[in-house]
Amino acid sequence: MKPLFTLKDVSIDYGTSPVLKNVSLNFDKGKVTSIIGPSGAGKSTLLRTLNRMNDHIPCFRLRGEVFFDDENIYNNGTKVPLLRQNVGMVFQKPCIFPKSIYDNVLFGVRHLCSGRKYEFPRIVEEMLKAVSLWEEVKDKLNRSALELSQGQQQRLSIARALAVEPRVLLMDEPTSSLDPTSTSAIEELVGRLSGNLTIVIVTHKLDQAKKIADDVVFICEGKLIEHGMSENVFSNPYQQQTKDYLRWHLCKC
Amino acid sequence: MRRDLKEVIFFSACTTTTVTAISLLFIILSAIFVRGLPAINLEFLTAESREFGKNGGIFYQTMGTLILIGAAGVLALPIALGSAVYQTEYLSPSLRGTADLLVYALNAVPTIIFGLFGYMFFGVFLKLGVSWLTGSFILAIMVLPTVIVSIKEAIESIPVKYLEAGLALGLTQERLVRAVIIPQSLHGVVTGLLLGLARAAGETAAIMFTATTFSGVLLPSSFREPVTTLQTHILILAQEAINPRALTNAWGAALVLVALVMFMSIGSMLIREKITLEAER
Repeated sequence: MKPLFTLKDVSIDYGTSPVLKNVSLNFDKGKVTSIIGPSGAGKSTLLRTLNRMNDHIPCFRLRGEVFFDDENIYNNGTKVPLLRQNVGMVFQKPCIFPKSIYDNVLFGVRHLCSGRKYEFPRIVEEMLKAVSLWEEVKDKLNRSALELSQGQQQRLSIARALAVEPRVLLMDEPTSSLDPTSTSAIEELVGRLSGNLTIVIVTHKLDQAKKIADDVVFICEGKLIEHGMSENVFSNPYQQQTKDYLRWHLCKC
Repeated sequence: MRRDLKEVIFFSACTTTTVTAISLLFIILSAIFVRGLPAINLEFLTAESREFGKNGGIFYQTMGTLILIGAAGVLALPIALGSAVYQTEYLSPSLRGTADLLVYALNAVPTIIFGLFGYMFFGVFLKLGVSWLTGSFILAIMVLPTVIVSIKEAIESIPVKYLEAGLALGLTQERLVRAVIIPQSLHGVVTGLLLGLARAAGETAAIMFTATTFSGVLLPSSFREPVTTLQTHILILAQEAINPRALTNAWGAALVLVALVMFMSIGSMLIREKITLEAER
């Protein structure tokens, strides 16, 4: 299967010490890939490289190439807003705008596809059903989204990201600030979305990665240590650093 | 014991300075209120000035002040908003310090210089003459730094998460400004504008020879006519200190002007709190 993303010898620094060092790997289409590793390993930096969300960070510098659908996304001619429409993102803490639930779902759609106004009610219902939020909020769509719980807000963030019909969804520790019930709901959601959507998820919860990921990428101190199918990496890792991390949650890279 | 004494001394010093500052404000406002209240009645607020201000009211002076500051607000707001957005979102980081310096420098220009420049440029060069439009342009330039700084501070205090959420959805920079930055910085726009206009409402030196005349004018019927204002009315009446009636009317006009300025200042605070609370809700 042709990969959707290809990273070739990617190194990133923010002016001082390097954050990612010579990372080369592929992300396959239609799969859930989990990026694991200790804190500060460069997991989020790697994730944000895929939709150029590091661009606005001062002194950000990337060497190497990042291909999405065979096109180098760090070329000068890249239309970054279009890239981000195709490669959506959900953050660690849900970011809800001070608007109604209805308007939050449509936030991206309104500004990107204003000609589809007649479809807005259908889009809202579809997206909220996709994230299993419809039954909980269908009678209060005009209420402020800030009244929702953290777990509901995170699902609303995912609905908002899905509404612009991305091909890829990047998730940066989406359950780290959630309770176990909300975490399970998000994990179940990822399972349902995969197949139609390529998902790359950063998580520091190994059991979560084991549960939901098809492929696993293990990053430590900015270096790619191991990459492979989830069952292989977790049951029979190749690298000693991976074995140490899976056993002790420590990595002496 | 020594540490406790130091605490007591420090606390007393802070209390004394606070009481002094508040007392000064209280004394000034009390003086204006006590001396100005006898002049305030319905006729004073709604009638035309007569006998060079000794009799009649201040209706057209109040309208003149409102026309000047209203027009100044309309002129200043788009320029201030555009400048603040440009400085925060488009200007290279290495040039932002220089831009800040220029804005603060503009704020430091003495108001009489604004008047002089404004008259030469708008009044003479652009042939607007002594008119309310000339005065409005001058006041707009004067209040620009206040409004720009307020909007900039509001934009810079927008949590990064909102910007990232907008960018991650594929919004262009222009859409991000319209959809996220301006709505999230609205409290800064309102506060800055009202504070700027409160300052403009009290401005006399910049407008007295560029926009106003003491008598012979009611409401302007064209762009090139002057107005009469509360500020200049107070100035002229105060110069007739020997006439008790004129002096009382001057205090009455001062009370109305202070009420107008306080209404805008307190209004800006309340609107800012309301918008912030709604955003947090």
